[in-house]
Amino acid sequence: MEIFALTLAGIFMAGAPLVLATLGETLTEKAGIINLSLDGSILLSAMTAFAISTTFDNPWLGVLGGMGVGALIAGVLGIIGIYLGQSQLAVGFILTLLCRDLAYFLGHSFSRQPGPDLGMWTIPGIGDITFIGPLFGSQSPVVYLSLFAIFLCWWWMYRTEGGIRLRAVGESPRAAFGRGIRVRLVRLCYCLAGGALVGMAGAAYSLAVKPGWGRPQGCEGAGWIVLAIVIFGGWHPVRAALGAFFFAAIQISGIYLQDVFPSIPAPVFQVAPFPIMILTLLAMNTGRMGWVQDFVRRYPFLKNASKGWSVEAPAALGEDFNPKKGL
Amino acid sequence: MKRDSFLEQIGWLGAALGLALLLTVLVALPAGAPPFETIYVLFKGGLSSISKIGRVFSVWVPLTLCAVGLLLPFTARLWNIGVEGQVIMGAIFCTAALRPYDEGGMMQIAIAIGAGMLGGALWALLAGLLRVFGRVHEIFSGLGLNFVALGVTLWLIFGPWKRAGVASMSGTQPIDISLWLPKIGKLSVSWIGLALTITAIIAVYFLLHRTKWGLKLRAVGENPKAATLFALGPRRRLLQAFMICGACAGLAGATQVLGVYHRLLPAISSNYGYTALLVGMMASYRLGLVPFICLFFAILNVGSIQLPLQMGLDSSLSGVIQGVMVLSVFIIQGVRMWVREREEVD
Amino acid sequence: MIVLKDIHKHYGRVRANDGISLTLEPGHIYALVGENGAGKSTLMRVLAGHTRPTSGQIGINDKTISHLTPKLARKYGVGMLYQDPLDFPAMPIWENFQLGAPKRTKREVIDILGELSYRLDACFLPDETVSSLTVGERQLLELLRLLDLGATTLILDEPTTGITPEQKQDLFNLLMKLAREENHTIILVTHKLSEALEMADSILIMRQGALVSTLTPPYDENELVSLMFGEAAKGVVSELPEIPSPAPPPRLRMNDALFAGPKYSMGSLNFTARPGECIGLAGLDGSGQELFLRGLCGLDRMPGGTLELNGKTFRSNDFNVLRRAGVHFVPADRLGMALFPALSLMEHITLTFPDHNDDLGEFYKSQCVERFNLRADPDTQADELSGGNQQRLLLSLIPDNASLLLMEYPTRGLDAGSSRQVWNHLKDRCAKGASLIFFSPDLDDVLEHSHRIIVFYDRAIAAVVDRKDATMDVIGALMAGKTLAEIKEGQQ
Repeated sequence: MEIFALTLAGIFMAGAPLVLATLGETLTEKAGIINLSLDGSILLSAMTAFAISTTFDNPWLGVLGGMGVGALIAGVLGIIGIYLGQSQLAVGFILTLLCRDLAYFLGHSFSRQPGPDLGMWTIPGIGDITFIGPLFGSQSPVVYLSLFAIFLCWWWMYRTEGGIRLRAVGESPRAAFGRGIRVRLVRLCYCLAGGALVGMAGAAYSLAVKPGWGRPQGCEGAGWIVLAIVIFGGWHPVRAALGAFFFAAIQISGIYLQDVFPSIPAPVFQVAPFPIMILTLLAMNTGRMGWVQDFVRRYPFLKNASKGWSVEAPAALGEDFNPKKGL
Repeated sequence: MKRDSFLEQIGWLGAALGLALLLTVLVALPAGAPPFETIYVLFKGGLSSISKIGRVFSVWVPLTLCAVGLLLPFTARLWNIGVEGQVIMGAIFCTAALRPYDEGGMMQIAIAIGAGMLGGALWALLAGLLRVFGRVHEIFSGLGLNFVALGVTLWLIFGPWKRAGVASMSGTQPIDISLWLPKIGKLSVSWIGLALTITAIIAVYFLLHRTKWGLKLRAVGENPKAATLFALGPRRRLLQAFMICGACAGLAGATQVLGVYHRLLPAISSNYGYTALLVGMMASYRLGLVPFICLFFAILNVGSIQLPLQMGLDSSLSGVIQGVMVLSVFIIQGVRMWVREREEVD
Repeated sequence: MIVLKDIHKHYGRVRANDGISLTLEPGHIYALVGENGAGKSTLMRVLAGHTRPTSGQIGINDKTISHLTPKLARKYGVGMLYQDPLDFPAMPIWENFQLGAPKRTKREVIDILGELSYRLDACFLPDETVSSLTVGERQLLELLRLLDLGATTLILDEPTTGITPEQKQDLFNLLMKLAREENHTIILVTHKLSEALEMADSILIMRQGALVSTLTPPYDENELVSLMFGEAAKGVVSELPEIPSPAPPPRLRMNDALFAGPKYSMGSLNFTARPGECIGLAGLDGSGQELFLRGLCGLDRMPGGTLELNGKTFRSNDFNVLRRAGVHFVPADRLGMALFPALSLMEHITLTFPDHNDDLGEFYKSQCVERFNLRADPDTQADELSGGNQQRLLLSLIPDNASLLLMEYPTRGLDAGSSRQVWNHLKDRCAKGASLIFFSPDLDDVLEHSHRIIVFYDRAIAAVVDRKDATMDVIGALMAGKTLAEIKEGQQ
């Protein structure tokens, strides 16, 4: 029981930045914008967060700095993609590579330096409770932050006016414009908000999960995984968060498996999430394949079982909208 | 639609370069680097001697191979983001083909090059199949396969192809000198690599602009649904485009093994796949521009090696400049559209 | 009172609105009529604030402004209902209703929605998604929403396309009530004269971007037709071709065919079509007619049953095999599904007729220009063509030996002249022995151009009706879910 709880605590920890970034990207994509720059944004904000914390000796200032950088990158993408009408995917991809190199370039002097981290928060009184104690009694602040962010995103998206507007601009910008919503502005706002969450994820890496900065930092590739988790999560914050924890579990199990198979070099386990990412996406699309549909039709009980397996993207995801051209 | 005059186009190009320079200076400042001296060192490092120009061309060869190959999937409006992994696979297959030989000649080199192209093409086919039949977006299939290819390389270097006694990031046992691509004089670039690259450029030009296949591929990219109605076999066409691109990338991987590193190592692809994607975007997928942009990027890459030595800066500045340039091109394109829109309103 | 003054809207060289002035008074029902492409929708979008005019003035409530925004339009009580409802299919009804309105809780929204629905005789389940509604219901929801926002000027753009005659009557009654009892201004945009004649207090006629006339009762139908169509009014539509008797062997026979699309499947389809026959499909959006056409040409799968084409049996419906056997499909969304937007006319011809590669120029002239009256430079890109020319191009790409033509809404977006040309061409093909199966949301078209009509309801064939029995009422009732037996009972 104790070991199980500790493993789970490890998953929460490893999953925290994934959850934060996934929620951020879910918000952005729900508004119809694809921010492909995640992998680079996470690295650059991780570097910034670490650099600022070291310089000012205050990790929370670092978190703010990371969020600012994440929002800044998303803002660049948003302005070029939304107002200048360029391909979101192309600009996102350029930003990915650019931010990654920028992080290595600017972070050169902070490489392998000691620096502060966010430490642990202890919630008094629950440390002795079985299971709950090891799980939540003493955890990194980013874990509490990520869990709170799941709730906040869900509540915002499905329980507030703002959430309805958010989904509306991602679903049909034309119709939203017809209802008097300033579509481009709303989209830019969620681009920024999503970017800030992604930046927070970067800070969570360099200040809590894998403290420190270097080349490589250790979170390379996480951004791509996050983009896949958003799809796996069906653009729903809770399901997306579960997906993030699933991938965190895979990362953790890689560490265990390394002990079981010492002959396999360690870096091989680090790439394990990627084939699993492809297989997950493949599995999710099976519901749309003809032979699977025929199979389900033949065995009606499968119909209910497979409900919710296939997910629909926001209808206007990645679509450009220019109100000047009219409806 | 109104076409801009030649002068105007030059003006916009100048604006893009100016913006790129400005942005580069801006991002270089926080690193405490004197911007103009840094840029001077960068270009001097790439152009100051014949041997350096030779090295520039040895970078130009794989970069151009990847970039022209990428034009085919781009024409079909697909991103072969997996080109990086296809370079790696090409290198793996190439190394595998050479393992039985302790030494050899042109025959073995030809086999190795063929194997490299096959490796790249197969890896691209896998990404293509995932896209066409599995409906996994090519960004994810390609990217995931890049990481998998890297994993395979690591496994081979630390596992079955381990150098006797040592297993390290420095790679496998080097191949015999008789299997190296012949060099031009003392330069590090090989005439075989150059010839193959120029052949690839011409072949892609003919494929895209002089054959029915190219027209069909363009049609598939324009509208895949209509391509089905016209019975153009869009799926087959897409897979073919992917495989040819993969073969080019595999060829690039083979030249890396045979001509540059003479062994398989984890960094065998040198990021050329990703850089080639940037080249393609910056060229707006026009073949004529690709070799020149590749040349420029190659100069930056070679020159950046001097940065850590002379200025204590990280060599990734070349990547930053490349990214900033492509981004500037996109920004200026957007501004141009915006200006034109305003003109139309008035 | 709303006054539009000298409204211009130009798209590049196209003058969609060319100096239009008109006055709209409360309590009146206006019909804005004109052909497709006459500029009606553009003018109404300007009025609803969805499009900014190039120049001109709008006077509302004694204020004069250069253009409206959606927000301003709402403030002045102008609301517009689009032909394809401008809503959010994936979102629940209550959210659709609330979006754009002042802040309210879900409870309040549901109460207001219920109250309004009760008043106007409708029923909505607030938590269902809008995608579960029919087009008619979606329109009604939009109408309720506009009324809730306090709209007093209601613009309805082709509201009768894709709804049953019964729904149409309900809608018209409702509009009449709103105008007469609540003093609303109603503007009905339509290309159907009958609707204008039935409803309007005055008829505004647009042609080629200009307002050519405003008529008041009593209406002279002939005058209206000539004002609306100009010269084109004089063309002749060919008669339906005779089906040769004794009947030749069937062109198409479906044996228990099962079609499966991405969203639903439709089973046990049995139907026989003869050579020379024109068969119209009728049904509300999503009732199965789309899948029927797509399954027949092989774009959607056929996991069960067989097809017989010209006596040859096909166990599977592979698109390319069927295409070689003479089955050709033309979708409604021409630019989105059937053409390559950035490729030229000539490149389309090259791709379709590989045999003619040596004499392409000649072939283009004989095939497109002479036979189909396609007047465009062969280097023109497909997306620069007018809707009529796009359809002409598509028809010219179908080889002469095609034996089964499947057409989705063949006259979508076409003006009267082009529509007539399309119908004449299709009938000509049928007279030469081809069979035509087509769908149109415009019931008049279906009734006029078919030997037999297949009516779809709830993703199944509801009935096959012969030309002599097919009336608007019968087809409409079948589309709404009544059975043939029930209809006969009602008639007696």
